[in-house]
Amino acid sequence: MLIEQILIQTVNGIVTGMILALVASGLTLIFGIMDVVNFAHGELFMLGAYVGVITLAATGDFWLAFVISTLTIAALGAALYWVTLRPLLGRDALTTILATFGISLVLQNYALWQFGPVARKIQEPVTGHFSFFYLDYPWYRLVIALASAAIIGGLWLFLKFGTFGIWIRATMQDRVMAQAMGIPVPMVLTAVFAIGSGMAAASGVLFGPLVGVNHAMGLDWVLKGFIVVVVGGMGSLGGSIAASILVSLLEAYASLIVSPAQSVIVSFVVLILTLLFRPTGLFVRTPR
Amino acid sequence: MNIGSDRMEPLVRVEDIHTYYGKSHVLHGVSLEVGRGEVVGLLGRNGVGKSTTLKAIMGLVRPALGRVLFEGQPVTHLQADKVARLGIAYVPEDRRIFGLLTVTENLRTGLDRRGVTDARKKELLDKAHQYFPVLAERRNQAGGTLSGGEQQMLAIARAMMLEPKIILLDEPTEGLMPRMVSQIHRIIDVLRAEGVAILLVEQNVPLTLEASQRIYLMEKGVVRHHALASELRVTDPVIHQYLGV
Repeated sequence: MLIEQILIQTVNGIVTGMILALVASGLTLIFGIMDVVNFAHGELFMLGAYVGVITLAATGDFWLAFVISTLTIAALGAALYWVTLRPLLGRDALTTILATFGISLVLQNYALWQFGPVARKIQEPVTGHFSFFYLDYPWYRLVIALASAAIIGGLWLFLKFGTFGIWIRATMQDRVMAQAMGIPVPMVLTAVFAIGSGMAAASGVLFGPLVGVNHAMGLDWVLKGFIVVVVGGMGSLGGSIAASILVSLLEAYASLIVSPAQSVIVSFVVLILTLLFRPTGLFVRTPR
Repeated sequence: MNIGSDRMEPLVRVEDIHTYYGKSHVLHGVSLEVGRGEVVGLLGRNGVGKSTTLKAIMGLVRPALGRVLFEGQPVTHLQADKVARLGIAYVPEDRRIFGLLTVTENLRTGLDRRGVTDARKKELLDKAHQYFPVLAERRNQAGGTLSGGEQQMLAIARAMMLEPKIILLDEPTEGLMPRMVSQIHRIIDVLRAEGVAILLVEQNVPLTLEASQRIYLMEKGVVRHHALASELRVTDPVIHQYLGV
């Protein structure tokens, strides 16, 4: 029985880890390229879920809602960046932290005012269960893991090949030299903020069916997102993904012993140990 | 003294620029010109503002006063990416290779521009590989793993990918072995033969006098002396006065 529980928790950990990786990739991409710690990331996740709720109600098609939500929040992210962050770049990091924190409060309260305190439900596109060691395991959870993996894989291909990916990576390493090479850095930064925001929205829609959609749903995720971004190494995409899976697996195993609410402690233990012994991150080979 | 370039409109004209880093006044009214296809040396001790002059031309430092003209048009308030697109390339003192990008990706930062056909891209890449065979060997290696001299070659090759009309070259031979220094010298001659102008900041006086047509000598944020390179000797008193060699 214990072996089965461990196997199930392994699958659960990977599924949660993939969603977390999707949230954290956006965070780490934005941090890596403009040194902005985006406290509004969780609210973009939450708004993404709400746009998903609305478009799903209007169109009845989950995947259409998924795409529309991702694009809408990407555009919102670009606008937010242009209006509130672009003028602050190059100043003290504290100013951008305060700015994104302010955005987060505004968006959260907007959602509360617009949608009310009652959680909304997103109907999953794939229903049904399959048998997994005498337990019924929902297909949709596998869909989440696969969709997240596909998006992250797509992002990786986009960064690895293609001119825009080279521009993004060059700007990440040396913004000034990138600009001196003729790379339109302001446009690259806006695009990265839009991509990160779109990824937050995508994870919000994917995760929506598992929990209710409400105005505060982003908080938990952005907190965990920050933990894995630090554990994986600030600005390292691969590191964030690996850390997402690691932390989620550890939490899943811990919830075999303690209650799921208490298992969150594991994330913080990993965070504290990382900060004590490997402050540059667990999965960073060369310190930047 | 009046020994400007012989053409009517110089390629780059710097007019009386003043710059500040915070409260410290770095350039106190620098003026100079570079003609089309001309190699111009900018000499001076450390900290007299040679690198700042290059950065001001590139749009990386904003002059508080004065202006920079490129082909007669003011570029003083353009962002560096626009300046680069106009045809000014920059090879900074510390090379600033994109260390995590491969050699080819480093070159592509300058190559992937609008209006460059695939055939032209291949031509430019082939040219870079021909001038710097070591870059062809290491094309898939991360830029950060190259030696200092190889990184310098990559920085120059990367600038060439922009097909610039002028390259601002900041201390290209600093810290290099003699063999590498002569290779850099050869590349400067090749670029000049191709009609690319160069504004060369150097500590290596013999190399600068040999490679350049005209020389500006800077001291404490201003140009103090201006001469044809052929009229100067390494042992000239004026060189001794401003460089102390």
